Amino acid sequence: MSELDKAIEQLRACRPIPEPQVRELCHKARELLIEEGNVVGVDAPVTICGDIHGQFHDLMELFRVGGDVPDTNYLFMGDFVDRGFYSLESFLLLLCLKVRYPDRITLIRGNHESRQITTVYGFYDECLRKYGSANVWRYCCEVFDYLALGALVTGAASNLPPSSAPFADPATAANMASDTSDVEIEILNSAGQITNRFPRQRRSPHQPQQQAPQPNSQPSSSSQDADVDDAPPPDSQATLSPSPSQSQGTNQLPSQTGAPGTSASSGARSQNDGGAILCVHGGLSPLIDTLDKIRLLDRKQEVPHEGAMCDLLWSDPDEIDGWGLSPRGAGFLFGSDIVKCFNHKNGLSMVARAHQLVMEGFKEMFEAEVVTVWSAPNYCYRCGNVAAILELGEDGSGGGYVPKSNGDVGRSLGLGGWEGPVNGEMRRMGGPGRRYRVFEAAPQDSRGMPAKKPVADYFL
Amino acid sequence: MAQTGPPTNDRKRVKVYELRNNDWYDRGTGFCVGQMVNDEARIYVQSEEEPNRMLLETKVQKDDGYQKQQDTLIVWTEPNGIDMALSFQEAEGCAAIWEFVSDTQQRFTGIGPDDNLEDDVLDAFNPMLLPTPDLSNLQDIETMMRTANASPSGRDALAKFIMNKDVDYISKLVPLIEMAEDLESLPDLHRLCNIMKTLILLNDTAIVEFVVTDEVVLGVVGALEYDPDFPSHKANHRQYLSDESKFKEVVPIDDPEIKKKIHYTYRLQYLKDVVLARILDDPTFSVLNSLIFFHQVDIVQHLQSNQAFLSELFGVFGEEVTDQQRKKDAVHFIQQCCAVAKNLQAQARASLYQNFIQGGLFAVITFALRHRDASVRVAGTDVLVALIDHDPLMMRSQIFKAINEKTKPLTDTLIELLLVEVDLGVKAQMADAIKVLLDPTANTASVDTLSRTNSDFLAKMRANGGAQPLADNFIQNFYDESAKKLFQPLKDLEKRENMSNLTVQEISLYSHLVEVLCFFVRQHSFRSKYFILSEGLASRVAQLMACPEKHLKLGALRYFRTCIGLQDEFHNRQIISNKLFEPIFNIVFATMPKDNLLNSACLELFEFIKRENVKAIIIHLVETYRDQLKDINYVPTFQQLILRYDQLQGIQGADSTDTSFITQDGDLNSSAAANQLVRHNHAGHLVNGGGARWQGFKDTDADEDAYFDSVDNDNDNEKDDEDDEDELSLPTATPSMSKSITNSLAVQSNGSPTKHPLVSYPDDDNDDANTDLVPMDVLTASPGTPNNNLNSNVNDANPPSVASSSPESPSMSASAPTKRRREEDEEDELSKLAGMHKRRTSSLSSVHSMRTGSPESKAGPDEKSIGNGNSDKTQDQDEEVVADETKGAVREPNSIAGAAQHGHMLRRKASIKSGKDGGVHSNGKKIAISFAVKGRDRDPNAEVE
Repeated sequence: MSELDKAIEQLRACRPIPEPQVRELCHKARELLIEEGNVVGVDAPVTICGDIHGQFHDLMELFRVGGDVPDTNYLFMGDFVDRGFYSLESFLLLLCLKVRYPDRITLIRGNHESRQITTVYGFYDECLRKYGSANVWRYCCEVFDYLALGALVTGAASNLPPSSAPFADPATAANMASDTSDVEIEILNSAGQITNRFPRQRRSPHQPQQQAPQPNSQPSSSSQDADVDDAPPPDSQATLSPSPSQSQGTNQLPSQTGAPGTSASSGARSQNDGGAILCVHGGLSPLIDTLDKIRLLDRKQEVPHEGAMCDLLWSDPDEIDGWGLSPRGAGFLFGSDIVKCFNHKNGLSMVARAHQLVMEGFKEMFEAEVVTVWSAPNYCYRCGNVAAILELGEDGSGGGYVPKSNGDVGRSLGLGGWEGPVNGEMRRMGGPGRRYRVFEAAPQDSRGMPAKKPVADYFL
Repeated sequence: MAQTGPPTNDRKRVKVYELRNNDWYDRGTGFCVGQMVNDEARIYVQSEEEPNRMLLETKVQKDDGYQKQQDTLIVWTEPNGIDMALSFQEAEGCAAIWEFVSDTQQRFTGIGPDDNLEDDVLDAFNPMLLPTPDLSNLQDIETMMRTANASPSGRDALAKFIMNKDVDYISKLVPLIEMAEDLESLPDLHRLCNIMKTLILLNDTAIVEFVVTDEVVLGVVGALEYDPDFPSHKANHRQYLSDESKFKEVVPIDDPEIKKKIHYTYRLQYLKDVVLARILDDPTFSVLNSLIFFHQVDIVQHLQSNQAFLSELFGVFGEEVTDQQRKKDAVHFIQQCCAVAKNLQAQARASLYQNFIQGGLFAVITFALRHRDASVRVAGTDVLVALIDHDPLMMRSQIFKAINEKTKPLTDTLIELLLVEVDLGVKAQMADAIKVLLDPTANTASVDTLSRTNSDFLAKMRANGGAQPLADNFIQNFYDESAKKLFQPLKDLEKRENMSNLTVQEISLYSHLVEVLCFFVRQHSFRSKYFILSEGLASRVAQLMACPEKHLKLGALRYFRTCIGLQDEFHNRQIISNKLFEPIFNIVFATMPKDNLLNSACLELFEFIKRENVKAIIIHLVETYRDQLKDINYVPTFQQLILRYDQLQGIQGADSTDTSFITQDGDLNSSAAANQLVRHNHAGHLVNGGGARWQGFKDTDADEDAYFDSVDNDNDNEKDDEDDEDELSLPTATPSMSKSITNSLAVQSNGSPTKHPLVSYPDDDNDDANTDLVPMDVLTASPGTPNNNLNSNVNDANPPSVASSSPESPSMSASAPTKRRREEDEEDELSKLAGMHKRRTSSLSSVHSMRTGSPESKAGPDEKSIGNGNSDKTQDQDEEVVADETKGAVREPNSIAGAAQHGHMLRRKASIKSGKDGGVHSNGKKIAISFAVKGRDRDPNAEVE
């Protein structure tokens, strides 16, 4: 058993590894991460995860529900640390797995992977308590600077392969199971049972969808709503059904794209089904109109207070038109027109992001052009939310598959999620097949009471 | 009208505290009286120093949110939600005011107005009564408590009952725990745990104070070991807290009260971090924090004023003492003192350090830094950095003293240690310490701080000051004496032929040295320039790009990016004449067309050159490497560079129709203006920070000119132009910020009519809207932003909140103390950070933010100026950006997005700048917006991250 495997073993038991080993690990991780682009290429199949926030036991639960590394490929969209009491163990475990299985796990940076934020929200204190000095925190922060800013998932299947999972409620099974050949969205509970399944709709911009996923139909979530008053209202109708005004917006989009003379005018698009999926922690930036612009950033720095790099890690989607001020004081709010324009221009079928607590674990917005994935159940040990991970399948037909490895040129070419103009309008095929696995906080038997580690000695 | 009422009109010396962001902010010292004015009971505190100023004027409310703590404290919540505290010098004074408050409240109860009569009467006549607890009635007690807990009056009654001396309820609960344990009655233990939780979360200071006392603490945490939320688990709090060995007493503390407080503090912290971590709500959290804070104030006060203790403490380091463990512990003890002091008010901290230094703190630091044990070295560096942070002026004068006395100054010790240190963590910390010590802006931060803390303190500083060009001299001395030693290893690279066999230690040393060098280039412009030139360091740094370690390459690359980002001809020439783009191209060729961090960093560098149209470099690049550039096609950057060159050649001597290209003069002017800007920032400190500290400015510039005249022999016309510009605007720089800005604007617009001013005047917005085609289109789509102030709205999105956060967030959070903590805490707001405690971090920017976020700076009486101070920092921390901004005004035709990006940045920055001027420019609009933004922070529906 290698040192690394031993470290993984130890961290899986939620026991920190000694400081010299952390240093070694961080140096190895640095060598790996430096080879990654600002936007890492990732091939489907992959399981996309949102914020973890030091909830170690829930991360273990995530692996139980989603499959263990290296059997499942994972993409974590940042915010590994802070808030929870086991940031150190969580981040180091993920880092160990990254070093051990570099092709199986992708880590990108969240707004909490920053010196400033971690000194306020807990990670710094945790390192200080667990090691007695800030050295480990320094090593980790150094690694943060090397983390990629985003990931681009290609080769995702547009339909889910028929799944053999049982239905949670046999009564609904009859309705849902009618069409297994063209499943777009499937929602599973933590026991691996299907709670909901949605066939792909041929959506017309003027007709609201017949059936939209109703995340709040899950039994676990509705009871919690009253409890947490600062959670977004579950408004799946509004977010998943296209309204006429939104499709009007779609019509205007092409006029805003492709500034002449920039690399934005990428020209021809293929008519492939499965566009790529961009994964970032926060969202879009007004300074980034094409993916290639992200490539021109020097990311090895503390997350700045403004600019493209900051926006990618801090922005949020919102029910507005265009851009708006972010109440967070960093990044922006962006509306559906922005996302549609961006996705169209870059041949993306959707943007997956984290960064915001959603009580149901995931939330699709803007006709599924954006999805928020949240993977910290019962956030801060008291929010009462469930968590989710998003599985994207591999496109077996090869139709939508564009082979691509990290570092390929012109990846924004040749990927497209759009049909040609139909009736004079841009129409979209819809996102890739998506399987959401919803899970709750780890059963309490699996851990002690969550608590911070006390300082060992005191003089004062 | 004012009629002096009942007894308490003696003047009581008192400190007024206000809770801001969970921190007790010292509003000042004064004299407290309680008076009846128009039948209203009022408490006044008159400032000690300025008798005309009232520190506090408050009406005694009838709801009993008033608490007396620790004999000398009265704590209450103002009707507007702000928590206040009066800390009395004498217990009698406190008792007198407390009597006044109690009397008033009794009157309220007796003859209160009708509408609330019922409640008060109910409270007064229906006090809470719980049965004497035993194992049989726990369930009833739990239910009764839950009922009482549901209403505010019930909570109050419950708290009163619990703390009633005759009842002494908690002490009666404690024995039940062992009984239930003996009977192995888990339900009873769970009930006891629930009861204990309820009691603590009543948020009553007296209860929280009581539960950590020796008599009951083990019982209380014992009950909390059986959390019904985790039925199959039992914590081991008792075992942990009863382990006496955790308390290390290096030097015996005689005062039993203080010793008690030390233990209480530890237990309170344990409650906060461990026992209650999961269930703490906001009010209880702040009760715990305030108690800890007041204990710490007392402890530090006691230690630093206890001469016997201090001499014994520092005596531990005497040569006759051989107990190495004791010395180690003493270092850790001092480290902990300094860590605690960080949370205290500047004044308390200052006297602690003062007394420590008199005791021989510097010798201790030197001892610690040379200790075998890395943990002691870490502690030593911690203490040192805390000292520098606290008062860089003092540190520098200490080092000067050492230089004058021909003893080894601390800087040299640090340098030597950095070079030989083997613990990579300590090494990083030492590199940081060197940076902070030599940060010229650190000065202003502390002057800013002082001006806001206390006038006698300021006076004291002035008295031993006069030391201004101290920072300057200090840095000069560093370059004369120490810099060579520091960078010797880099210089030695010249003799090294093979870069592929660096050791781990060397790699780490070189990355720190390059990082420190980057910092110097930004912070000490002309001295570092000369030094780098005379030592030939640029070529050595370039040499590092040949090593196989990619992160070291990246560090070296960053050095060049920093230099080029300064848009300084001096650096550019040095890079060009040494052909230092060669290794950069090597990296490009080695990595392209791969998409990795190194490659992106190179691209970003060339994008910058292209975007900013750095002519000298473009000409050099294209003339020297044209063929190679032609072949790099995987991104358009390099072709665009060639195009830019061709346009440059075409444009020279002839007027171009393309107005977005600037002439030679324009370019120069703008870089000169950029330089000025940087200086004007400092001038800004002068205006804000007050005092004579920055009068050295003119000298500095004279120095700089002298330097360039004597050193830089190949000064060409461009240089002279630049210097002329400096002189032109200098005289105005000192007296008035607004004037100098205007001046620099004038200079700028003379140079190039197409450029945009650095300060965002209202009418700029229209111009900009035309230029920023792409993003503006998108921006106009936003319905929430009316067109007329669209630009300022969107572009100011970040800076206003950054700039305005600290003045606003304290009051914001204070006004909503009843909110559950998670509502505030779980939102990520960058802006919030500015108002928080910061700790030492390794990046420069966070050093700044730490300063601006430190309690005294965020808590000044003039809140607006604090916000301004913050924005100063934002600007200062990256001169690079300032330069960007100037150049950003230059628009480029074939990179509209790039231009827009800069327009964007320009106006963002400009708004910071104008904000800093304190209203010299017309920015009411922006300030209003920033308030609006903050207002939204508290939107209860805001989604938390």
